[in-house]
Amino acid sequence: MNKNTLTINAFSMQDVTIGPKYHLTENSMQIPDHPLFDIDDRLKSVNVKLVDPKDCHFKINTIMDVIPISTKVLGNIGYGMSNTLTGVSVILTGADETGVQLHEFGSSDGYLDEKIKFDTDGTPSSDDVIILIDVILKSDFEFNRETCEMVFNTSDQFLQPIREILKVMNGRDAAESFEYEDIKHPGKPKVAIVKEVAGQGAMYDNMVFAKEPGGIEKGISIIDMDNMPILLSANEYRDGAIHALV
Amino acid sequence: MGIGPSTKETTMHHFHDPLVRVVASDPDVDFQGVILVGTPQDNYLKNLVGRRTAFWLEAMRTNGAIISADGWGNSDVDFMNTMTEIGDKGISIVGLKFIGTQAGFVVENEHTKFVLDINKSKSGTETEVVGENNLSEKDAHKALGLLKLKMRKDGQVTK
Repeated sequence: MNKNTLTINAFSMQDVTIGPKYHLTENSMQIPDHPLFDIDDRLKSVNVKLVDPKDCHFKINTIMDVIPISTKVLGNIGYGMSNTLTGVSVILTGADETGVQLHEFGSSDGYLDEKIKFDTDGTPSSDDVIILIDVILKSDFEFNRETCEMVFNTSDQFLQPIREILKVMNGRDAAESFEYEDIKHPGKPKVAIVKEVAGQGAMYDNMVFAKEPGGIEKGISIIDMDNMPILLSANEYRDGAIHALV
Repeated sequence: MGIGPSTKETTMHHFHDPLVRVVASDPDVDFQGVILVGTPQDNYLKNLVGRRTAFWLEAMRTNGAIISADGWGNSDVDFMNTMTEIGDKGISIVGLKFIGTQAGFVVENEHTKFVLDINKSKSGTETEVVGENNLSEKDAHKALGLLKLKMRKDGQVTK
C-alpha cells in the first residue's frame, strides 16, 4: 500500500430516517432514536432526532461538537482508504436534567438556527440532514474531564454501528472519490503549520490518533501528552486524526 | 476567557481544515506538515511547549510557518511565546487568531503586527454562535500570502 496516498470515497445520503435498527445503503440510512447499548449510570437519557437545517427554530442544549461520519477501510489514519458520508452530519448537545450546560467558556444553548452558522468548514451544510444527539446527565454529575469524555464517547459509540456497515461498502458505489497525495515541491520554501489547541481540562481538550476518523476509541488526549507538540501530515489531518473536546 | 462557541474548532472543522487545505495544496511552497501543540495551564510548561515547537521547526529546516489558535485570553501567552521562539530561530512566522474588539493583545511585540484577525462578527465579540468566528479559507489565503511576502523580506527565498 502506498503510504503517501489517501483515498476518500464519499457516499451521498439522500434519505435519512429513524427506525428500529441501523441500516445503510449507498444513498440511504436508517438509525435508531436512542443508543441500543446500556448508557452510563451518570446519564439520564440520550435522545437522537433528525433535523432539517432550513427548519430548526427550536431550543437546544449547548453544542458540544459537530462530527463527520467516516471510517477506515484500508490502512491507518492518513493513508489507505476511508469511506465517508456526505449529506449527513452530527451535532452533539449536552446538559444536565436541571439545565446546567456542558461547556467551558460560553454556552451555545438557545434556538438552533440562531446558535450556529451553517455552511462553514466546521458546521453542517444547510443541505445536510443533521443527526442531533442530545445527552442529558443526572443532576449530581461532576463537571470534569472524565464526565465530558464519557459524553463524547457515548455519541461515538452510537455512531460506530454506522461506521461498521460503511466500512464494508464498495467504493465503486460511492458518489465521489477523492485522492490526496503528499506532494513534495523540492526547491520551494519549506512551510509548516502550527496549530495551537486547547489542553487544560474539561471541555478544553483535544484527542488525537483514535482508531476511526474523527473518532474517540483509543484516542489520546493532548493533556495526557502534557500538551507537547506532535507532527501530523496533511493527510492525517484530512482523515480525521483529531477529535475536538472543546 | 478560553474557547468560546464562535471560535471553537469542532471535529468537523479539523476534518475540513481550511488552513491545511490551502497551504498543503500550494505548489509554490514545500509543505512539511502540521505541528499540533496544546496550551498548558502552567507557565513553565507554556514556555516549554513553545520552545519544543521551535526546535522541531528548526530541525525540519523550515523557512516559514503559520500559527493559528482557536481561543484567546489566557492562551495568548502561549501564542505570542511560541511565535517569539519560532522567530528567534530565524524562521518567518505569521499568525491567525480571533481579535475583534474584545481580544486585543495585552502586550505587543515585533510579531503582533503579523497576526491576522479571524473575527467575522459585526460586533467583534464572542457571539456564542458556533462557526461564526472560525478560521475560513479566505483567512488561510491571506495568511499564506502574508507569509510569502514575509519570507521574501526575511531573505528565506533565494533567487
